[in-house]
Amino acid sequence: MKRLIAAVAPRGLRGRFRRMHPDHAVAARAFDRAFYLKTYPDVGEAGSDPLEHFMTYGWREGRDPSPEFSVRAYLEAFPAVADADVNPFVHWITHGRPRAVVAEAPEGFRHDVLARLTSVEERMPAPFDGVTDPEVELSAALMISRGRLAGLHITVSHDDYSANLGGLQAAIQREAARLAERRRDHLHLYPAGPWPVVRTATEREGLGVVWNGEALGIFEPAAIVRALAAAAGTDASGRSFAIHSLLGHAPDEVVDILAAAGLNRGVFWLHDFASLCAGFHLLRNDVEDCGAPPPGSPACGICVYGPWRDRHLDAHARLFERLQLTVAAPSQATLDLWRASTRLPAAGAVVLPHVTLAAPRPAPAVPAGRPFSIAYAGLPVTHKGWPIFKRLAHRFAADPRYAFHHFGARGDPNLPATFQSVTAGPSRPQAMREALQDAEIDAVLVWPLCRETFSFVAYEAVAAGCAVVTGPDSGNVAAFVRDTGHGRVLDEAALMAAFESGEIADLSRARRAPQLFDLRYSALTLDLAAATNT
Amino acid sequence: MKILCYSSFTFSYLNRARVLFQTLREHHPDWELAALITDRPPEGFNFDPAAEPFDRLVWASDLNIPNFQSWLFKHDVVEVCTAVKGPFIHQACDWGFDAVIYMDPDTAALASLSPLEGWLEDHDILLTPHLVDANDDDAAIRDNDLSASRTGIFNLGFVAIRTTGEGARFAKWWNDRLLSYCYDDMPNGMFVDQRWCDHVPALFDRLKIIRDPGYNVASWNLSTRKVTVEKNGTISVNGAPLRFWHFTKLGAVGDAMTKRYAGTNFPVYEIWAWYKRQIQAATDPTIPDRWWAFGAYDDGRPIAKRERVLYRERIDLQQAFPNPFASGRGSFQEWLEHEGA
Repeated sequence: MKRLIAAVAPRGLRGRFRRMHPDHAVAARAFDRAFYLKTYPDVGEAGSDPLEHFMTYGWREGRDPSPEFSVRAYLEAFPAVADADVNPFVHWITHGRPRAVVAEAPEGFRHDVLARLTSVEERMPAPFDGVTDPEVELSAALMISRGRLAGLHITVSHDDYSANLGGLQAAIQREAARLAERRRDHLHLYPAGPWPVVRTATEREGLGVVWNGEALGIFEPAAIVRALAAAAGTDASGRSFAIHSLLGHAPDEVVDILAAAGLNRGVFWLHDFASLCAGFHLLRNDVEDCGAPPPGSPACGICVYGPWRDRHLDAHARLFERLQLTVAAPSQATLDLWRASTRLPAAGAVVLPHVTLAAPRPAPAVPAGRPFSIAYAGLPVTHKGWPIFKRLAHRFAADPRYAFHHFGARGDPNLPATFQSVTAGPSRPQAMREALQDAEIDAVLVWPLCRETFSFVAYEAVAAGCAVVTGPDSGNVAAFVRDTGHGRVLDEAALMAAFESGEIADLSRARRAPQLFDLRYSALTLDLAAATNT
Repeated sequence: MKILCYSSFTFSYLNRARVLFQTLREHHPDWELAALITDRPPEGFNFDPAAEPFDRLVWASDLNIPNFQSWLFKHDVVEVCTAVKGPFIHQACDWGFDAVIYMDPDTAALASLSPLEGWLEDHDILLTPHLVDANDDDAAIRDNDLSASRTGIFNLGFVAIRTTGEGARFAKWWNDRLLSYCYDDMPNGMFVDQRWCDHVPALFDRLKIIRDPGYNVASWNLSTRKVTVEKNGTISVNGAPLRFWHFTKLGAVGDAMTKRYAGTNFPVYEIWAWYKRQIQAATDPTIPDRWWAFGAYDDGRPIAKRERVLYRERIDLQQAFPNPFASGRGSFQEWLEHEGA
């Protein structure tokens, strides 16, 4: 031991080590004094020696001696160490430093996701209280129209697009905006409760109605049928409908409401894969893309969504049986998977991206030799790949080759990355593209765990001149990157290796000389030839 | 092939057995499923065997074990639930089945077990070792390889036999051994039924040792088994389809061992999460936690392990007290209070 201390400790400190408890000398080999003082300022304020504090009190209080070692994770992984009342840090150092001691839990973030996973039953809304708004109010509202319902467009989704933020809501807003421009009437229907699945005929629920942008309230489905039949008449030649999401809806109810306006032919959007499974992201147990395996497969057998899959298959079979639906996909990858996974009788199929890149122009040159900047754009949430970015940032934050940036509505104070607040909304729909472009970010990590039907952020990143780095299960993101060459598709191990070797810097602006683009947004159903009942 | 599959348990493990039998029914609706119960239903629990996911119920007391109460008293709950496996499998050889399979109540089938039927065409005895790949890491060797050396090479959470030939001969031998030597007594070479089966390759022919990693996956072999879920919906273990899992030690201890050896192999946690959901759904709240009717004397006082050991080691006590569960005058319990201390 003395020889070891002599080898690792500066001469001036050797005397101190000699006086130390042998365990303290062992711990000193890996103890990060600066980290400890920064993380636990009370230790410095009290004038305690940080190592002494950790060895006496800190480890028992669950304080970590270095960013590489988690006391909690180690004791959890090795309960015998906890039972023996042994200092876990000393145990770690003297037992070959077994894994279980990295910033990310040794089991990986997916273990934590699974520990928090709730069943679909637990996510169901409270039973409908039966309270609805009077039918006469709905009838009265429908009397005030843009065009006497001649060009009526009905949309169906899981929530009130006018009150909630999100990709799907923004898409319906674009439909709504185009309808307003054309002076066509717009009726939007959504379930009163936040349903995680489609409804069966026996599960009662009120339906929310948004009429020409104004929320009217909650009504009985039968009341909507009556009011609409009275107001709309039978000539449906200029009308159309789009089903954006069937969550919270019962198929026969939807069909009956559409029939009241004379509608039977319309568009079914593949914004997600709810027509294939109740797990509409196809994210088995919220941890891995499942690829929509055959129902009844062992994978479905262990999945929290497995027992609910038949409900979704049955509901969509009923919907497609009673309506003539053209399937609209925001990406070819989405349509390809859907076609390979279902025999639902679509009347037609079309791909219409929500966004296209337009007006290419060279991006300004950046100086060579600057660190490679990698960004995460959006909310720090697991299913969008935040843990992967975190893993990279923790591993390479101190590496001068790299600079980590996070752009989003809220940040994570524990992450070694610069944070810039960016909130996109109706007033500034391109805020993210602008922020990425201004910061001249080299690459954006777009790493959804589930296959995206369409990824706005991937298009925003490329429009801003950034490369996109994504995983193989990211659906539209991976397809977009492969088709256009704007980035790399890597698996998790290859991603770490590319940063380790520095090869990822091939995606720097200096080496790519990228272009900037404008983003052109579609008006979804209103841009489709099949948009009316004619 | 006409197959009987049984499990041995008490009412505390009814939830686990239900999950096992449900999964077996799903994959093998043609198998006859039997519950071997060494217990009595707790008061307040309405036990309706017809509503349970098994076809046949056998009470351990109906296995014609000589001096049943005295014999039972010599064992703790784990020992006795293991010991009764022997007389059951021996007697079941005469019930008209081609093969009998035993599975622990805390196992569950995650896919078809039909390859077993194929192997039973060519073999009379099937066993699954704890390990089919050696560890080379010190901690894993201590936790797994050396543990198997102490407790038995094969895991007896599973055994399958043909009811004739070497299978029947094994059943008779196992019956005889377990009736007399099924104790957790490692210093004397016994770990319930398992150490006995170390002898099987030497004593019997027509044995198949199942080295397919899809069978009997458990915390003790996770260090050498990687679980993957394929896009086609199959679950694989080292490339072979997952067949059945052994969910040993449901709770914090099991979780810690699983985490230590599964590491980032997250499908393992998915499978455990699934199992915990099934157990929760199969649990009847009217069965008291850790219930066992034979865990206490007639007056309700718990029976200590040392009292069982004393009784089993003293033939004079066995002769003097043929019903050692009794309380009151002239009972073993009274004798313990006055003379046993």
